[in-house]
Amino acid sequence: MRRLFWLLLAVLLASFALAQQTRLRVFVGGQQRPDVMRKILDLYQSRNPGVRVEIEVGGATSDQQQQYLTTVLASRDPSIDVILIDIIRPAQYLASRWADTIDKYLPAASRQALLQQYLPAYSQANVINGQLVALPGFADAMFLYYRADLLEKYGFRPPTTWEEAIQQAQTILQRENNPTLNGIGFIGAPVEGAVCTFLLPVWAAGGDVTNAQGQFALTVEQAQRALQFWVGLMDQKVSPPNMAEKPQDTIRQEMQAGRWIFGTLFAYAWNRFQNDPDSQVKGKIGVVPLPAFAGGRQASCLGGWQWVVSDFSRNKAQAHKLVRYLSSPEVSKILAIEASNLPVFPALYRDPDILRVNPWFAQALPVVQAARARPQHPRYSEISEVIRVTTNQVLARQKTPEQGAREIVGRLQAIYAGR
Amino acid sequence: MTRPEPRPRRSLGDLSERALAFWLLAPAALLLGLVALYPVARLFYNSLFRRRLTDETGVQPVFVGLGNFAQAWADERFWTALWNTLLIVLVTVPGALVVGLLLALLANLPFRVRWPVRLGLLLPWALPLVFAGLIFRWFFDSQYGVVNDVLVRLGGERLFWVTTPELLFWAICLTIIWKTSSFVALILLAGLQVIPKELYEAAAVDGASRWQSFWRITLPLLLPALLVAAIFRTITAFQTFDIPYAMQNGGSAFETLAMYVRTTSIENLNFGYGSALAVLMFLLSLGVTLVYLRYIRGVDE
Repeated sequence: MRRLFWLLLAVLLASFALAQQTRLRVFVGGQQRPDVMRKILDLYQSRNPGVRVEIEVGGATSDQQQQYLTTVLASRDPSIDVILIDIIRPAQYLASRWADTIDKYLPAASRQALLQQYLPAYSQANVINGQLVALPGFADAMFLYYRADLLEKYGFRPPTTWEEAIQQAQTILQRENNPTLNGIGFIGAPVEGAVCTFLLPVWAAGGDVTNAQGQFALTVEQAQRALQFWVGLMDQKVSPPNMAEKPQDTIRQEMQAGRWIFGTLFAYAWNRFQNDPDSQVKGKIGVVPLPAFAGGRQASCLGGWQWVVSDFSRNKAQAHKLVRYLSSPEVSKILAIEASNLPVFPALYRDPDILRVNPWFAQALPVVQAARARPQHPRYSEISEVIRVTTNQVLARQKTPEQGAREIVGRLQAIYAGR
Repeated sequence: MTRPEPRPRRSLGDLSERALAFWLLAPAALLLGLVALYPVARLFYNSLFRRRLTDETGVQPVFVGLGNFAQAWADERFWTALWNTLLIVLVTVPGALVVGLLLALLANLPFRVRWPVRLGLLLPWALPLVFAGLIFRWFFDSQYGVVNDVLVRLGGERLFWVTTPELLFWAICLTIIWKTSSFVALILLAGLQVIPKELYEAAAVDGASRWQSFWRITLPLLLPALLVAAIFRTITAFQTFDIPYAMQNGGSAFETLAMYVRTTSIENLNFGYGSALAVLMFLLSLGVTLVYLRYIRGVDE
């Protein structure tokens, strides 16, 4: 009888303790190093004994993750509290009312102070219609990777303009006379990265999809020149004729096998070149900002991942506190060292601990500072589809750059007009 | 004198037996209703609303009646996707039936060792559709693909299979036929094996040629199996999605109806219009199935 009493008491106490504890569920993608995220969350748990954080791992690509999240969030499922989302999505999360805005927990003055610490591109990309939707987790951008050994062999310095890059590629291709070697690799398959392919020359030439007021501003001429530039690379035999078949990771794999002189890729590629067991280019790859056109400006495509609080969470205040931690300099530093994710705080690009592991981060700061975000729009996925499919068709020579440009501008105009 | 046997008390016994049958069937019927009818009903219901998760109708759907269907009527992309789907049906269903029949006849030959043939039949069928798409995507790769390699060796030139719409269509059809003909062959093989051997022996005694016995015995007796295979194949052909999707890296140069439904609902978050498109696709499959079922009844009688 006495034993039973103690048992009951223990059960009661345990359930009381459980009730006191807040459970939070965090969603991250499969390629976003859930192992490192777990360490970061363990640290948080040890400092906040009342909180237990579970981690849920989703698909490997941004598209796959969003497909799953769409199902969860459209059904108002409260099981996920905090979500790591792609830079292209905050506008949509606000429009769908999937995100609980961060503003609720921040007085206006401290919001200003908080945002000033981050790379400006991220504070801009996460503020939609004046509302702070998400806080940055880690940065990303497109870089120009090059074969340092080959450039050195022919006495070239890393190019700062596209004209230089083309000329260097042509010279090296001619002298190397290696049929498996290609010149400049860029994303040409109809995947999200092709949006960056299209926008890079538009930005480098001073154009953009929208103006400062957010109105549609892309001209047919700008679009046509951008498409013509990439088609021209194939005409000049600097890029092979099948660029329309190549998604980003194919270029990365081929470059890793020693088949490209230049490749325009996001930050993740560097780690793979240096550390993958099958890499043929270990220690032979350099990385610089994407080139400009002669007389133009350098431009890169901004990537990166943001933390949002789900509007269906039942522990919003706790979730918000967790998001503040996950978007802190401390976590940014751990992610930089353990996962080679680019920091979202400019100061960390000079941090000796980080530079010891990723020396090339020293050159990355100007790139992420100059990088531009893809259009912020609730219907971004439609914008993306128009751009990537048409760009792909132009590269596949199904449409001329002029036809493609007219189609892109016409269809984007319709989306921006709300049709 | 024989006493007439008492009449069985039919009505009451029957009733209780019927009631029992009804109650025994009820859980299954309920389950079927839940998992099959409810989603379809819900789809019809959703198709009457404007519901886009990218604007306020995501939270507050607006009733538009048949507005979404009117939109589809005027939507060029819908007609293209429908046309592409019909082309796939027209090419791959007969294609798979013919290839499947040949494979079944081959597998039915009196081989001494049968398992390699049977395994060869089962493998493509067991492979997930997306895998088949990815594998053939590599076969048709312009640079590394085996198809272009053969073409070049034969003195032809490299073709851009995956990025040229006309070539892509044939590449997709070939992949689908490869993938689905083994399923057809499995059904037909079962059909072949129940044809009594005596019929062939009798035909041989009567001096019939092989061709004649195939034409007069095999084909007529295989007809029910062929019809079943054709129905399954047609319905799945209307839903073609995975193979063209995987072969194009998710692009939409060649878009089927199922791909358009997915892009509209899952990617562009336009649930109302996406549901309307799905309803149209459902009605189309249903119509084709009904035509087949009628035909089967005709054959049976």
